[in-house]
Amino acid sequence: MTYEERLAALRETKVRHTLEKRKQNGYTDLDDFGTVPITKDYEMEPLYTSSNGSFYGNSGMAENFKRLIDAHPAYVDPMEMLCGRWRDMLVNYRGDVHYMPDWLKSRPKIMALMNSANEQWSKRWDEQNFPYDDLKPLQKLYNIQTGIDGDAHFACDYRIGFALGFGGFLDKIEKGRKINPDKKDFYDAEETCVKAIIRFIDRHIEKIEELLKTENRPEIKENLKKMLQTCKNVRLGAPKTFQEVCQWTAFFNCASRMYTRDGAGFQLDTLLLPYYENDIKNGILDDETAKFLIANLLLIDPHYYQISGVDEFDRDMTNHLSYLILEAADSINIACNLTVRVHQNCDKEFLNKAVYYLLKNKNGWPRFCNDKTLCEGYMKNSVEKKIARERIAVGCNWMCVPGKEFPMNDTIKINIAKVMTVALDEMKNDKEKSLDKLYSIYKKHLAKAIDVTAQGVNLHLDHQAEVTPELIMNLMMENTLEKGEDISRCASLYTVGVDGAGLAVVADSFAAIEQRIATEKLVTWEQLYAALENNFEDKRLQAIMSSTPKYCSGGSVADKWAKELTNSWTTLVKAQKMPKNRCLVPGWFSWARTIEYGKAVPATPNGRKAGEPISHGANPNPHFRNDGAPTAQSNGIASVQCGYGNTAPLQIEFDPQLACDKKGVETVLNLILTHFEQGGTLININVLDKEKLLEANENPDLYPDLVVRVTGFTAYFASLSPQFRQLVVERFLTGI
Amino acid sequence: MCNKVLVADIQRASIHDGPGMRTTVFFKGCPLNCAWCHNPECISFEQEILCYPEKCIGCNKCDEGCFSGAKVICGKEMTVNELMDEILLDKAYYKKTGGVTFSGGEPLCHKDFLKTMIEKCKAHNINTAIESSLIYFDEEIFNSINNIMVDLKLFDNELHKKYTGVSNKIILENFKKLDALNKPYVVRTPIIKGVTDLESIKAFIKTLKNVKEHETLKYHPLGIEKAKALGKIQERFE
Repeated sequence: MTYEERLAALRETKVRHTLEKRKQNGYTDLDDFGTVPITKDYEMEPLYTSSNGSFYGNSGMAENFKRLIDAHPAYVDPMEMLCGRWRDMLVNYRGDVHYMPDWLKSRPKIMALMNSANEQWSKRWDEQNFPYDDLKPLQKLYNIQTGIDGDAHFACDYRIGFALGFGGFLDKIEKGRKINPDKKDFYDAEETCVKAIIRFIDRHIEKIEELLKTENRPEIKENLKKMLQTCKNVRLGAPKTFQEVCQWTAFFNCASRMYTRDGAGFQLDTLLLPYYENDIKNGILDDETAKFLIANLLLIDPHYYQISGVDEFDRDMTNHLSYLILEAADSINIACNLTVRVHQNCDKEFLNKAVYYLLKNKNGWPRFCNDKTLCEGYMKNSVEKKIARERIAVGCNWMCVPGKEFPMNDTIKINIAKVMTVALDEMKNDKEKSLDKLYSIYKKHLAKAIDVTAQGVNLHLDHQAEVTPELIMNLMMENTLEKGEDISRCASLYTVGVDGAGLAVVADSFAAIEQRIATEKLVTWEQLYAALENNFEDKRLQAIMSSTPKYCSGGSVADKWAKELTNSWTTLVKAQKMPKNRCLVPGWFSWARTIEYGKAVPATPNGRKAGEPISHGANPNPHFRNDGAPTAQSNGIASVQCGYGNTAPLQIEFDPQLACDKKGVETVLNLILTHFEQGGTLININVLDKEKLLEANENPDLYPDLVVRVTGFTAYFASLSPQFRQLVVERFLTGI
Repeated sequence: MCNKVLVADIQRASIHDGPGMRTTVFFKGCPLNCAWCHNPECISFEQEILCYPEKCIGCNKCDEGCFSGAKVICGKEMTVNELMDEILLDKAYYKKTGGVTFSGGEPLCHKDFLKTMIEKCKAHNINTAIESSLIYFDEEIFNSINNIMVDLKLFDNELHKKYTGVSNKIILENFKKLDALNKPYVVRTPIIKGVTDLESIKAFIKTLKNVKEHETLKYHPLGIEKAKALGKIQERFE
């Protein structure tokens, strides 16, 4: 079989798995993750070490990780060159209502646990020992996603793992024990985890040996033999070849996903380059095989990898492997989270090629991030350029310095739409009402929201090591094994990301008030309050308030308000005092929770009804312009960047009806580069076929391989809930 | 000098109205009345109301203004400066090839305004384009504009009168005048099944020296719903 034929077979398997997983899991408004379906005999029995029905700390997490990974059967597909997949994750067993798949809900023990979990605050946090009841009233009032129970959302330095291998981790643990005898608990837990990973690899070795006994096809037999030797080599040893480093990565990624859903990858084209070049020199690798191996790695898990960009001296890092990676992603063409780092010194041809694939495959990859604004912005947090340049795109909307930074990125959100409604409520009974007064009250509450968020962050950082130590990712972070500390306690950088959600709702609301009440006097404050109270029973009033020019329409009052809101958001977040070497970094992002956050927000002055979804990230509300011009959206979002190295992504979907020819590529590239010239940080882009999208929305099974970039993550459209699919469609329709 | 004009619509990020990324300005007013016009709201020189009854919320306050989108006023009076402000919003995206396209309706119905706009765009280093039926000809405009796109809908005069409401005699004469300027231009022909006499059109184009490209445009029935909103009926073609 040719590689092409094998990839076609693997794509078919992927589609089959996607549909099967949807039956098992129900709708999941989440990343694809790369998981495979649960097998019938799969059973994981968690050990609850806490009386509240959860498990915590070094021993609790290690024991349960061991049980989880020990329960995972080996996954070997003779069509592949790499092996390993994951199916289940620890967070499922800690009562997190966001991630519980249907198959797990049918387990009686787990149901009992889930029914006792609070909707917003899951049992991932040990509230018995580290309570925060004093923070809850304000957290609820402002609908804050606290980050207190957040996990992962930082990036390992894979160079550490590549140099040591799993055996090297064990050696390092032993060395650490001798230096820090008082950290026995920590080292015991780390050792338990590493040995469990090695057993996972051993099960794959056994599986391959079993398959070899009955395999008669010479080509497949040869493939399995090579796979076997690779697994044996990386079981303890550091990877030496290209296949070995890909296999090592696959095993580590499976383990870190199982542990805390970690999806942060690395700079794929530079870290794998030495292995590639060495193998080519030694005549044991060719480009076609390298591409197949990369495609296989991407198939195993859609981790967030960055390619291209520049080094600390502004030298282009794009290399031959960067191109092979794009070609590999094209050859498998599944959910994929490659980010191209854009810098003026980077290879233009490579950038053209990246855009070409975006247009050709229409599967939401690659996406693009702007080195200039990210690097310069991050440096404003008192970080030197060298470190800022190492900060790479490894998540939905976020960047991280591998090995060094503990940012809690994408785990903390303040729903500013809710904050606005709190302000409105406070002004309700005032005799003198005004826009200025409302804004002043809004800022006062925003400051409170930020302050209570900061308190939550500090609680998390102070105690996360005792709740959910990151035992797997610790293996590839600096200072952890050396000091016997969880990364939450010994990171070099604590630049903690706090995202605002609901910008467009608030901007459009303030603009509607300014235009209709203050300027035109078409509506009175009393009329507005009555309408908000009765959820816009008066449809005319709703129409009046919702028809003012919106944020991103271009030069509108709402555009002015969006900038002003960004200014106050950024100023207040940066002004928040934090202890030790911690600081907060502002951004705009809502991840995939626009529906959930919207449920907490009553009717808003922009005509939005109570409980309706809030706006997505930094995006405008749907129907912000009749022509839905992407340039208008791009301008608007570029103008609301917070400027400290975290993003306010341009989430854009359109059907430009462009071929993937020179004109098409130039058009899309123009949009990307101009957005960046104007200050943008990250572009999550969907180039979609309108007809296909609408048909898939009616019947997702018609296009089981349709992938969309939902927020920063990619998902199979067929696995999204009808409500979420509709949100994507509505976002899309306004872009055509 | 004409300081104001009625603009039907402004479409940003247009990529099919000339080279690069463009802002397309649709002026109101056209002497033709093409049976398949996909911008029928641009034909009248006056402000009009488009009605979308499905959006009506039944407030019975139509005379106090409609905010639901059930009645939309088409035609906004704009000054040169106001229009320029709109065009400048996307200047960063125009780069070398993109810019503004003046369309409609028939932009040459507003020659003075158009001349001023072209000057302003030049001053801002913005590329200009025009989409015209060539019912009118203005040498100064065609010489000063960067990109020219002109329609040749039908060659046969009787057919032209039947389907556009006017004779094409002057249009064909204006083609020759345009060609004599020795400046490249694009000819566009909508393909209407059973109507378009494409071979005759191609034969005519062969007699011209400066046609850069002859684009055939697929028919699309966008105009039907808009005509309905105007209280008119538009025939559906193929």
